[in-house]
Amino acid sequence: MELLTLFFIVLIAAGLGLLIQWLPMRHQPMPTYPQRAPFLGGGLPETHAWNRYHVRYYPMTLLLIAFEMEMMFMYPWAVVFVEQGMKAVMEMGMFLAILSVGIVYGWREGVFKWQ
Amino acid sequence: MIVSELILPVLLVTFVLVLGAYLVAVLDEAIAGALGMPRATSVWTAPLTQGAWLLTQQANATEAPDWRAWRLAPALYLALAAIGLAVVPFSPTLIPTDLVTSVVLWGSVEALATVVIFLHGWSANTLLALIGAYRYVALGLSYILISMFVLIGVALPAESLQFSQVVASQEGLWNVIRQPLGLPLFLIVGLGMTFWGPLNLADSRDLAGGTASAVSGPPRLVWNLARAAMLVAFSGAAASAFLGGWLGPWLPGPVWMLLKMLAVLAVLLLIGRLVPRVQPERCVTLMWVVFLPLSFVDLIWAGVEALL
Repeated sequence: MELLTLFFIVLIAAGLGLLIQWLPMRHQPMPTYPQRAPFLGGGLPETHAWNRYHVRYYPMTLLLIAFEMEMMFMYPWAVVFVEQGMKAVMEMGMFLAILSVGIVYGWREGVFKWQ
Repeated sequence: MIVSELILPVLLVTFVLVLGAYLVAVLDEAIAGALGMPRATSVWTAPLTQGAWLLTQQANATEAPDWRAWRLAPALYLALAAIGLAVVPFSPTLIPTDLVTSVVLWGSVEALATVVIFLHGWSANTLLALIGAYRYVALGLSYILISMFVLIGVALPAESLQFSQVVASQEGLWNVIRQPLGLPLFLIVGLGMTFWGPLNLADSRDLAGGTASAVSGPPRLVWNLARAAMLVAFSGAAASAFLGGWLGPWLPGPVWMLLKMLAVLAVLLLIGRLVPRVQPERCVTLMWVVFLPLSFVDLIWAGVEALL
């Protein structure tokens, strides 16, 4: 039942967002083409903006994946933490320490810089 | 049963989101006025005037946008804000949807927000919007881990991933005192999720408006509304994770909850007006090298505290 309620909330919010856009725009004419040119401070575009864009931070995204996998273990860990006690602290401490070495290594390699 | 489990939650979420978004605009206007920035004649009507103007303004278009994604992104962002608020408990009994895994759901809202904001910038097919979108992804991938560790920290003493249990576990002492690093770190996440103030990398002025640079009229209205609504949803999560949610003397629970949400909003909007924008180039290093280790400290602190 909770999931059904949540589904309705999503549906209504997204529907509202689309309705507020669609209702007033139904009868609006499209802007003319000169007006539709992308804003480039007066310059004209030579290609699509989507053409090529070098994402400079992709090694950082790989580091993120390591931590995201760790989060999967962490959710069930959080629930049993108090009954497991010190053992749980040690286990996650070791895991985090290993991943932290990854951050330090990435930092040294300049993973967090955009250059 | 239908009324109490379906209609009431939907109405509650819609009401709080709309009213909250309006109050965000009013508060922001009032803070700007108090800080000596040009102000409207009345802070109470200014957001409504602005909204009505956007509603009747002609919507801009670019030459070859991805139409469906462009119109869908603001609506999806609004829907994410609604999901976020739906798991926030207003009292032990008044919870729109009391999922057992609501903390996990909140985490997924944060992750999907990054996707939706990127979609908004990408679909316009304009250079400045695209740069804003890529910048935002760098920020989004950096703050999400901080948020996860901080939220796991509040789940430890509660022994549950349910926001209502998290609030109940703060009966003796609120998490804001028990885990002093938690709330400041979580506020950074809130500014990141809504790209507000110092963390406004997506829609910043130096990109002529970033992902929203080519958006006007009704789509702009929905986008602004969704941003404010996301701030409201975040304040709900922050209030229940750190400020004890409905707990408090004399007043009824939901009133306490709304007061705490307003307090969080006021702090966020004040930061937004006072702190300058961080450099996007430095932001990633700052998040990974300073704030992420601090969130590890917060987690270990929370863990040791929960065992004592």
